Amino acid sequence: MTSAGFVLAAYGVILGGMGLYAALLARRLRIARDTVRRNNVDLPE
Amino acid sequence: MNGLRQGLAVAMAIARKDAISELRGRQAAGSTLFFAALVLLLFGFALGPDSRRLAEAAPGLLWLAIVFGGLLTMARLHQLEADDGAFEQLALYPVDRRAIYAGKALAGAAVMLVLGGLLLPIVAILYAIPIGTAWLPLLIAVALGAIGFAAIGTAYAGLTVRMRAREVMLPLLMLPVVAPLLLAAVKATAASLSGDPLGELGSWLQLLVAFDVIMLVVGAGTYGFLLED
Amino acid sequence: MKTRILGFVALAAVIGAAVNGLFVVPADLNQGDAQRIMYVHVASAWIAYASFGVTALAGLGYLIRRDLRLDALALAGAEVGVMFTAFAIWGGMMWGRPVWGVYWQWEDPRLTTTALLLALYIGYLLLRRLTDDPARRAARAAVVGLIAAVDIPIVHFSVLWWRGLHQGPTIGDPSKILNPSAPLQFVLALLAMLAAFTLVWAYLLIRRYQLARLEWQLEEDARRGLVQTARLALPGAAAAEEPAR
Repeated sequence: MTSAGFVLAAYGVILGGMGLYAALLARRLRIARDTVRRNNVDLPE
Repeated sequence: MNGLRQGLAVAMAIARKDAISELRGRQAAGSTLFFAALVLLLFGFALGPDSRRLAEAAPGLLWLAIVFGGLLTMARLHQLEADDGAFEQLALYPVDRRAIYAGKALAGAAVMLVLGGLLLPIVAILYAIPIGTAWLPLLIAVALGAIGFAAIGTAYAGLTVRMRAREVMLPLLMLPVVAPLLLAAVKATAASLSGDPLGELGSWLQLLVAFDVIMLVVGAGTYGFLLED
Repeated sequence: MKTRILGFVALAAVIGAAVNGLFVVPADLNQGDAQRIMYVHVASAWIAYASFGVTALAGLGYLIRRDLRLDALALAGAEVGVMFTAFAIWGGMMWGRPVWGVYWQWEDPRLTTTALLLALYIGYLLLRRLTDDPARRAARAAVVGLIAAVDIPIVHFSVLWWRGLHQGPTIGDPSKILNPSAPLQFVLALLAMLAAFTLVWAYLLIRRYQLARLEWQLEEDARRGLVQTARLALPGAAAAEEPAR
């Protein structure tokens, strides 16, 4: 692998990883928000 | 002043109780020693019959055996109490948590010191290294390593003892933390064995002392939070 | 909403800093293009240390104040920190192969220290998963976070000495990049990357914190048996699932 290949691998994994983590967080947040809302809908507390 | 003396008395009482129960349960302590010796024997197989290579690796192998045996020891010292619910009662005593921690750590360090002290001659015999002239620095290194290991081990055993999967979690949490201790202890042992030609023994022993002091302070400061939960 | 704006700003900053580091700044004379990896590698490492600082301080704060929001912040720091630690190691390996010829250089204290850091905080995250009660989990995690934090400098010094007590720094030390002799352009590129990563870090920390608070809410709901009553909605089920208080 050339030097450029390693650079690409480093940037790709690191920046891609951050993006993936951000996307996963957004997904988990949406699901959690929905579940909390469902749990607490029309329930006499 | 009075509180300090009372704390010391509590620590000594707990340490004596743990040491006595460890001695009474000779089988458990004996098995730990046997296990550690077995580890040393297996290292011999793993590294092959080249006696010079074994002698070179001996300090590292000795400390890995101590670490493995120490993990078992730390877990057992807390397990005995957790099994019969005595841990909860210990937490209820109106004494300084730091005294309880000190007692437990003292007992742990004493058991580890015995373990290390017995493993030394086994290593000397198995790997054919002369320890006769270097016994004093070796014992100091083993004692400092035992104190540091017990300082961490007491806190982490108290933390994992009532947890799921504690058999895995104790080594998993402890091993990365004791890595610098292992490194310094191995270096100090190697320097003692070789007659310290580079004059670095003192530095490694200092590092061990620093590790011990820092971890004892942190352990004593946080153990109370683990007891009360 | 404000967090979303922060997210877009962070995204733009990272793209800008990456384009700058990859295409605008010239290649290093000695290391060639591989030196470009340093920008993301060093920035990741710094962010990782900052994350674990947040975890330790938030944990300490929890032990003093007993506020579960601080525990949520500690969790956010640890999880984000583990990710950036992994990035730092990955970047170091990708840099080490073309420059040193090996992926893993035991001689380099930073790499070894970082590997232990990763192990320490993966243990922290595992510990959290294995404790159910929120207050108990927070206290245990805080203790582990504190012990890990005080261990880091000891690890660093021991590994530093391990290379040889009387030996100067080796060539190719990553800190060389920040020497005054390094061209200003390289330093600026690194600082730009660091700023961009800091924005991303802030965004991820906030999002993870929000998620931790929601997860805590879900745990509370489950404990009250609300989930069952809402989901099943069978006649009589609500009465049966009513929590005995």
